Amino acid sequence: MADTAKSEYRGEIHSRQKELMSAWYQRLDEAARTGAPATVELMISGNCVELLEAFDAVPLYPEINALQLAIRHQSLEPILLAEELGYAADNCAYVKADIGALLKGISPAAGKLPKPSLVLCNFVGCNTYIKWFEHAAVFQGSPLYMLDVPFLRADSPSREDVTYVVRQLREVVKMLEAITGRKFDYGRFRHAVECSRRVEDAWSRIKLLAQRRPSPFDAYFDAITLMGPLYVYRASPAGVEFFDIALRELEARAARGEGVYDQEKFRVVLEGPPPYPYFRAFRDMFAKWRACPVASTYSTVGGLWEFGFRHDAEDPFEAVALHMLEHNLTNRNFLQRYAQLRRYVEDWNAHGLIIHFVKSCRLFSAGQGDMRDYFTRVLGVPTLYIESDLEDPRYFAEAQTKNRMDAFFEALEHAGAHRGLPLAVSGPAGPHANPNLKVIP
Amino acid sequence: MRFAAGVDVGSTQTKAVIAADDRSLRIVGRALVDTGANVQKAAENGFLAACREARIAPREVGFVVGTGYGRYRIAFGNAQMTEISCHARGAHFTFPSTRTVIDMGGQDAKAISVSPAGEVRDFVMNDKCAAGTGRFLANAADVLGITLDEIGPLSLQGRFPVKLTTVCTVFVESDILSYLAQGKKPEDILGGVHLAIARRTVSLARRVSLAPEITLTGGVARNLGMVRALEQVLGATLQVSPEAHFTGAIGAALFALEKLDRSFESSVWSAESRL
Repeated sequence: MADTAKSEYRGEIHSRQKELMSAWYQRLDEAARTGAPATVELMISGNCVELLEAFDAVPLYPEINALQLAIRHQSLEPILLAEELGYAADNCAYVKADIGALLKGISPAAGKLPKPSLVLCNFVGCNTYIKWFEHAAVFQGSPLYMLDVPFLRADSPSREDVTYVVRQLREVVKMLEAITGRKFDYGRFRHAVECSRRVEDAWSRIKLLAQRRPSPFDAYFDAITLMGPLYVYRASPAGVEFFDIALRELEARAARGEGVYDQEKFRVVLEGPPPYPYFRAFRDMFAKWRACPVASTYSTVGGLWEFGFRHDAEDPFEAVALHMLEHNLTNRNFLQRYAQLRRYVEDWNAHGLIIHFVKSCRLFSAGQGDMRDYFTRVLGVPTLYIESDLEDPRYFAEAQTKNRMDAFFEALEHAGAHRGLPLAVSGPAGPHANPNLKVIP
Repeated sequence: MRFAAGVDVGSTQTKAVIAADDRSLRIVGRALVDTGANVQKAAENGFLAACREARIAPREVGFVVGTGYGRYRIAFGNAQMTEISCHARGAHFTFPSTRTVIDMGGQDAKAISVSPAGEVRDFVMNDKCAAGTGRFLANAADVLGITLDEIGPLSLQGRFPVKLTTVCTVFVESDILSYLAQGKKPEDILGGVHLAIARRTVSLARRVSLAPEITLTGGVARNLGMVRALEQVLGATLQVSPEAHFTGAIGAALFALEKLDRSFESSVWSAESRL
């Protein structure tokens, strides 16, 4: 088996992404030096960047900072510092890398990171964020707003849930008015929400392109490239322009019949974030087998749009609330996650599912053993379960991970999966017909 | 007659097998050497010893498949495959009724669900922890001051196996010392050690399936105490070949023969030229 398959495509989207993300870090550096523009630290999951855009405030995502450190092999030092301070070994490694870097003054970019004008804890599904953002606010001396988003306890949020979140969003508006000294401009907010809708349209169409064979888009590794602009620029004209370019570029590839790999062999669905400290090594494990990730749950952490939800400018506050409550991965319950993955396997014609368990994220990873059982035993979908971490390099064993990946693809190869259609999903007949599953609208 | 080889470079021992295809598939040579620090040399030594036993020259071997953790260091190998595929194939060759393989090696414990054709359906392995592997038994033997070969038979003499509080390969030592201090007999301690590993391994295996027949492979299969402990926990009889520790190498050799079939016409390769 050759180890030389091309694992990535380099196009305009990559250079434009780099420009946009550099510009973002420059604005943060400017804020650090001059105190303007206003910056708001918030969580990626179900982020409400539309509100910030209405005030020209810049989002500051600690997850992006942490993963940048990990990709650059700089995460261990701040993690160790945080552990020295008393953070436990099994605390979220994102938290430790971020807090350690904060206290040590380590920036993932060339410039500095500002003291946030507001720490906005929009915790969605992950209650670790409550303590993380409390600490971030204390260590930086920034005001904190705890935006309480109720966990999705039923298929959809209740009217009371929506009202509760909207009321808090209006309180955030008041805080942003005080911080920026600007009156809230409802028209600008609606425009920001409309920009988001357009970006979400393009992003969803990009994801649907991966249903083609070969897939012109790697919905895991390349999706991560697009996720930076998606979270930072979604509510702005720059985001709309970027995603229009990305869609055109990838549609053109699809029209030419170009795939991520010259000869796509396997199609897989990914659950869980990547091991960022070994991002390249992990990616190469797929490339070796010309295995294209055609769908991933990780790319829906910030928002789940490919199944139809869009921000609606007609009722922008409610749209933002619905996004936070229902239409992002981390606030959804386990059966909804199963249904999402099953739909990916079926509609994206995947040969199998790969679950990456994140050692330091008990909240999100707990239950993935059952998930594996459900897919292998109930649905008959070949499923690989691997363990490491998204941020802490100490949890990644390259030889062990490679061995499991190779064995998984060897088994698919021996079963002849690559020669015919993907292995059929068994279980009750028809797509999404399992009565235990909620069909995602 | 055509010959192919499988070389399984494990963490503790390297196993090499020569398979011959002459109307029927036969294993005509095998060798077992300690892996040690020089993985490449161990693979070479194992391969040459297996050739000697088969009474063939290395150049007569048409294809070599490497497996095990050191497979990429086998300079003379033609292809590499994971030990998961190889153990499934080897176990199916030895016992065609195999539907589940439990493989216990030096640092790995794995369970493989196997199709009627010997293909891997599903598998699980221990992760980043050597609990429940041969290393655990080796540590227990060290603390008790007996050899690895002795612990299995001795464990069978235990009438009141102790309950270990850990299956950690490191902490088992202090657990054993504590029982010795309490005056427990070595055979009862070893009975507890074997049962602890058996429980952990069966729990791992339940994650794939425990469909009969279950075949035990790997170096630990030579330990009769482990076989009995596993059977006790499973409530079922295991299939164990006297050559269980060669299973991965046998599977690799069978894959090598298949690959030789496909490439025989054009292949001018000889193992000897690359040694």
